[in-house]
Amino acid sequence: MLLVLVAGTSSVRAQDTPDYYRQNCLNCHTIGGGRLTGPDLKDVTKRRDTEWLINFLQNPKSVVDSGDPYAAKLVEESRGVVMPIAPGMTRYRAEQLIRLIEAESKLEKSQFQGVKISNRPFTDADRKNGEAIFVGIRRLKNGGTACSACHSIYNLPALGGGRLGPDLTRVYERLKGRQALSAWLMAPATETMQPIFRNRPLEAEEIHALAAYFEEAARHSESDASTARITFLLTGLAIATGVIFVFDAVWKERFRGVRRPLVEDSVSRGPDSHREKTS
Amino acid sequence: MNAPILDTFLFVALPYVCLFTFLLMTIHRYRAQSFSYSSLSSQFLENRLHFWAVVPFHYGILAVTAGHLIAFLIPRGILVWNSHPLRLYVLEISALACGLLTLIGLGGLLVRRAMTSRLRRVTTVTDWILFGMLLVQTAGGVAIAVFRPWGSSWFASNLSPYLWSVLMLNPDLSYVTGMPILVRAHIVLAFVIIGFFPFTRLVHLLVIPNPYLWRKPQVVRWYGRR
Repeated sequence: MLLVLVAGTSSVRAQDTPDYYRQNCLNCHTIGGGRLTGPDLKDVTKRRDTEWLINFLQNPKSVVDSGDPYAAKLVEESRGVVMPIAPGMTRYRAEQLIRLIEAESKLEKSQFQGVKISNRPFTDADRKNGEAIFVGIRRLKNGGTACSACHSIYNLPALGGGRLGPDLTRVYERLKGRQALSAWLMAPATETMQPIFRNRPLEAEEIHALAAYFEEAARHSESDASTARITFLLTGLAIATGVIFVFDAVWKERFRGVRRPLVEDSVSRGPDSHREKTS
Repeated sequence: MNAPILDTFLFVALPYVCLFTFLLMTIHRYRAQSFSYSSLSSQFLENRLHFWAVVPFHYGILAVTAGHLIAFLIPRGILVWNSHPLRLYVLEISALACGLLTLIGLGGLLVRRAMTSRLRRVTTVTDWILFGMLLVQTAGGVAIAVFRPWGSSWFASNLSPYLWSVLMLNPDLSYVTGMPILVRAHIVLAFVIIGFFPFTRLVHLLVIPNPYLWRKPQVVRWYGRR
């Protein structure tokens, strides 16, 4: 057990800090590229002191829960998303990250400036592409999972989409428009999405198409979860019942006992059947 | 216990404790008591409800376990299959039907054990604990399938990498910490069942001859002291 934990820790230590930032932080934070889900970290050390930042990096939720007003403001600006603890975060790792952010902030153009969000008007082709990406028919270039694995939306066929995450019919409204939605898609920040997309980010074109689809979806009402759920359950139950009948038919010659079949046979033939046979 | 420590215990320490217990104790039991590797069939003591419980249970649980194993081994293959809604629905409905078969069979097994006095006498505390665990696990799995679809896809994208990270001795909790409580409980109980496995009649699945799946029905007599 100790070996396992030590192995895990040492692999994090050995990882380069810029690589660590790219894999775990860039999803939500640019340095000089503007806000994504989390704030732009350029000059963050001028806004908060190092000790506060180290504490926050080690356990953001506990700082938020402690009632810290600055942490509460960050959560509000991130629309309720509390920063998760990055894998393998230690005090040493936090110090290294703060040093990296400080150094990158001094540069005119940081390597962590991030991608620009498209301003092109949406077309029908974009909306169709977005739908195909959502459903999964058009696969994501970097290998991310299709949205419908975990999310539903207004116009999916029959049993609808997944229900691990929320229905996304109104997500365009919820996130207050294209800019914030695209930023979210650039760096999905929920605990469930982050591990999937941190190494398989959406391409700019995919974000554009999904934003177009979500804008269209926001004009409709959410899908009906309970009908899809009941249909799904009843179909499964009907098949399971059918399979049990198939089992019964396949094994109809099975052994059912010695005495009972003799008694049943005797009863069905009548009380004199034994006498007839012997006579 | 705060959340990160509890998560580390449940999804790092517990899996290794259970997996090592499974590995060491199955070997130990086979070496020390090889003749105890048996399902201890009770068909001889009750043969009417037996068929309706044992057959759906075994085919159901074999299919469901195979499904989990396939999603673990070839997650990308599952995601490619699921990229078309019709194929996804076929897979999910089949998996749900198998889960329900398991649940119906397990319910039958429990009723059979509880209602037949001869069977109650040969059922140990370990058996009851195992039945309880399997019932909770199967009911939980069915509930996940119904209330948190589509598990075949999100298992492939989130849980398969977590399980691989455990297997490669570099556990990555980030894949499971955001999962709903029902899913987390299902994972934890799965590991507990694996750890409990060597102490139960489940060991029979390690020595089962494959032709059991298609052989002709036969009566099995149960020999024991009781």
